[in-house]
Amino acid sequence: MSARENSVQKILRVDLSSRNTYTEVLPKEWTAKYLGSRGINARLLFNEVPAGTDPFGTDNILYLGTGPMDGLPTGNGRMSVACKGPRGSVAEGSFGGFFGPELRRAGFDYIAIRGKAEKPVYLFIHDGEAEIRDASHLWDLTTDKTDAALRRELADANVQLRYIGPAAENLVHSSVIMGNINNSGGRAGCGEVMGSKKLKAIAVRGTGRIRVADYPGFIEAYQMFRKRLDLATSRDPWTPVWSTYGAPVLARLFTDIGNLMTRNAQEMRWDEEKATRIGSEVYLDKYVTKGKACFGCPWPACQKLYQIPSGKYQGFKGGNYWAGQPVVFGSLIDNDDLDLILVLSGLCNQYGLDVFHVGYTIAWAMECYEKGILTREDTDGLELTFGCQDKDGLIDLVRKIAYKEGFGELLAKGCSEASKIIGHDSERFCLSVKGQELEGIAERNLYMVALGIAVSEVGPDHTRWYPPYPCNPNLMTKEELSSLGIDLDLRLAFQGRNPEEKGKLLRWFTISRAVIESLPGCVFLVRDTLGFDKRPWWQLFQSATGTALEYSEFLRAGERLMNLDRAFHVREGFGRKDDRVPIRMATEDVPFFNYPRITDDVFNHMLDEYYQENGWDLKTSIPSQEKLLELGLDDVAKSLKDISMESER
Amino acid sequence: MKRIYVIEDLCNGCRLCQTFCSSLKDGVFSEEARIKVIKIPGEERDIPIVDCNGRCLNPVFGDKTPTCVAVCPTGALIWEEQPQAIEKRLQWESARKTHSLFKIVAPWKWPFPWSQVDSDNENIEEKVGKR
Repeated sequence: MSARENSVQKILRVDLSSRNTYTEVLPKEWTAKYLGSRGINARLLFNEVPAGTDPFGTDNILYLGTGPMDGLPTGNGRMSVACKGPRGSVAEGSFGGFFGPELRRAGFDYIAIRGKAEKPVYLFIHDGEAEIRDASHLWDLTTDKTDAALRRELADANVQLRYIGPAAENLVHSSVIMGNINNSGGRAGCGEVMGSKKLKAIAVRGTGRIRVADYPGFIEAYQMFRKRLDLATSRDPWTPVWSTYGAPVLARLFTDIGNLMTRNAQEMRWDEEKATRIGSEVYLDKYVTKGKACFGCPWPACQKLYQIPSGKYQGFKGGNYWAGQPVVFGSLIDNDDLDLILVLSGLCNQYGLDVFHVGYTIAWAMECYEKGILTREDTDGLELTFGCQDKDGLIDLVRKIAYKEGFGELLAKGCSEASKIIGHDSERFCLSVKGQELEGIAERNLYMVALGIAVSEVGPDHTRWYPPYPCNPNLMTKEELSSLGIDLDLRLAFQGRNPEEKGKLLRWFTISRAVIESLPGCVFLVRDTLGFDKRPWWQLFQSATGTALEYSEFLRAGERLMNLDRAFHVREGFGRKDDRVPIRMATEDVPFFNYPRITDDVFNHMLDEYYQENGWDLKTSIPSQEKLLELGLDDVAKSLKDISMESER
Repeated sequence: MKRIYVIEDLCNGCRLCQTFCSSLKDGVFSEEARIKVIKIPGEERDIPIVDCNGRCLNPVFGDKTPTCVAVCPTGALIWEEQPQAIEKRLQWESARKTHSLFKIVAPWKWPFPWSQVDSDNENIEEKVGKR
């Protein structure tokens, strides 16, 4: 098979209602303007899904997008999935694995799926061909069983899969799209939308070849990139720790500095012994069977596979114990049994549930139970206390959420909707923004996080402005930053509880991560100076695609994406009024550490700075006409011109 | 003569070796390479199969190390004469018994001193059994 040129991006259009498929070539200039993946998904979404579209209707479109770096060693198998989400705004997320490279080798960069199938189907893509096949026999299967059944059916060990579990089939809030059993993406509702289309899975197999425009240039850029991320050569001491032990290593540290959400964030400090029992060292010692990585990752084992070695749940297998699970199934519900954490998170993967939705909603329900708002009558007899005495009951509750059974039906709505139904002021301790649950990162000690979760169009998603934690401010001097066009005082910006510079820092992180996710690449790979110096990626992109771009124009693609997301958001009626932190963070101080609540003054100061830096209207957050025209988004400017929104400030 | 040796249990399946190898001849990335990482259906194993003398057409990292070995993030690939390869293998066997970190990365890839966790390093053969 001849090698495909990397500057051309192709989209496979699928209409499930009419069962038609066809291919289009995207405008060549889009590669320079939007790069690919998340950037092009955002462009397509804004163009093709008008305001007011029913998220579960036939006109909503689910996009899966790779990009010009996927299939190359620096793409890390990342891909973006996007649609209009059930909460009314952009739903976008990304996942790693091997699906993206396989799709590109099969001859496609994007898949756009509209319509609805009459009965369950799956899409099989192989070397330039696409077929819609019956999936009745797969419907209702958990993700692990779907994976096994499809691999058997297609009889190819190299086929790559994306699928939904029973939760998305049942339109459970926030359910995700899964792949490789343990990789999830699109928690803002992409799984629900896929379920509403009765699309159980997408299978892809490609044997094609990808040619980069300038191979020596690509290798030279790769060496620069790799040097900063390699365990032996990175100047960032966190690199080896993060890439092997992983994020759960933070649990013990966080309990000491007031960053660990405990008992539904009523406290931010957990028993140190409990935090140790669920930490990375114990996980690695007792549970890990094997290191795993996404395609082309330069790190040894960001992912790991586990098996519970003994006890009641002996033999239970899963993968990916990362930052979320120690919080949502650990400190947040006061559970220090790592067996139980791994079973709960493994079951979420099998049902296709979002761990953050499940963890935060259960924690909210526990607080309701503690306060007498919910009783055993409401919980189907389950003793729903912090500390998790009834472990089997909790495990069964996860199943009930996936199938919307009994008490699970209430929790399947997410804590935001559930608190409106239950009332009794329980919204005060529902930890969500824009109807989407948090992700376990402290707000009252890290003001940039507070701002980040508030303004994100997709709901709380720290990967949009990773890393949420202060980096070493000595990695780059002010002069070095200035030479890269970054006007930031890092020492000030990294002060956790100081509102100054937070808007500017968040803007930089949002733009630069949007660039990485559009190549695509993995936003975790920003250690050493890569958090601020994007030139290695810039050179990789230019050499891979043959697209000559000024460095500032490369970064501008990220700003364009940020404005496209906001434009979609305001077109659907969202604005400043929706950019909030959860009520608890705005009204309660952090006990023991005495970190104050995030007052309106502090929050508005950060929000004003952020909007102002972005060129967005301070009262509504609508991007200004000047900004949109400056970014070459003339059509977007035109469509937002007549939008009116009352002042929300 | 130096050869490429493999520690299968350390392979994380990233396919950096295979992907770079595929590109060495004509700058085109594909699955076709002299090292292939295969999977067994239904099993979580990644198995690199090497069909190569290690003398790359165009090594990416320096002249002396084959590209696949140089880009491997875990140390699953070794480029050594047989006695040194055995020594490294034994070093890893010993390391993984003393510290769980070395289930996922080879000790020679870890940048911080690891010998402190294995004070009995010289009795390596006792730990892993006689060859």
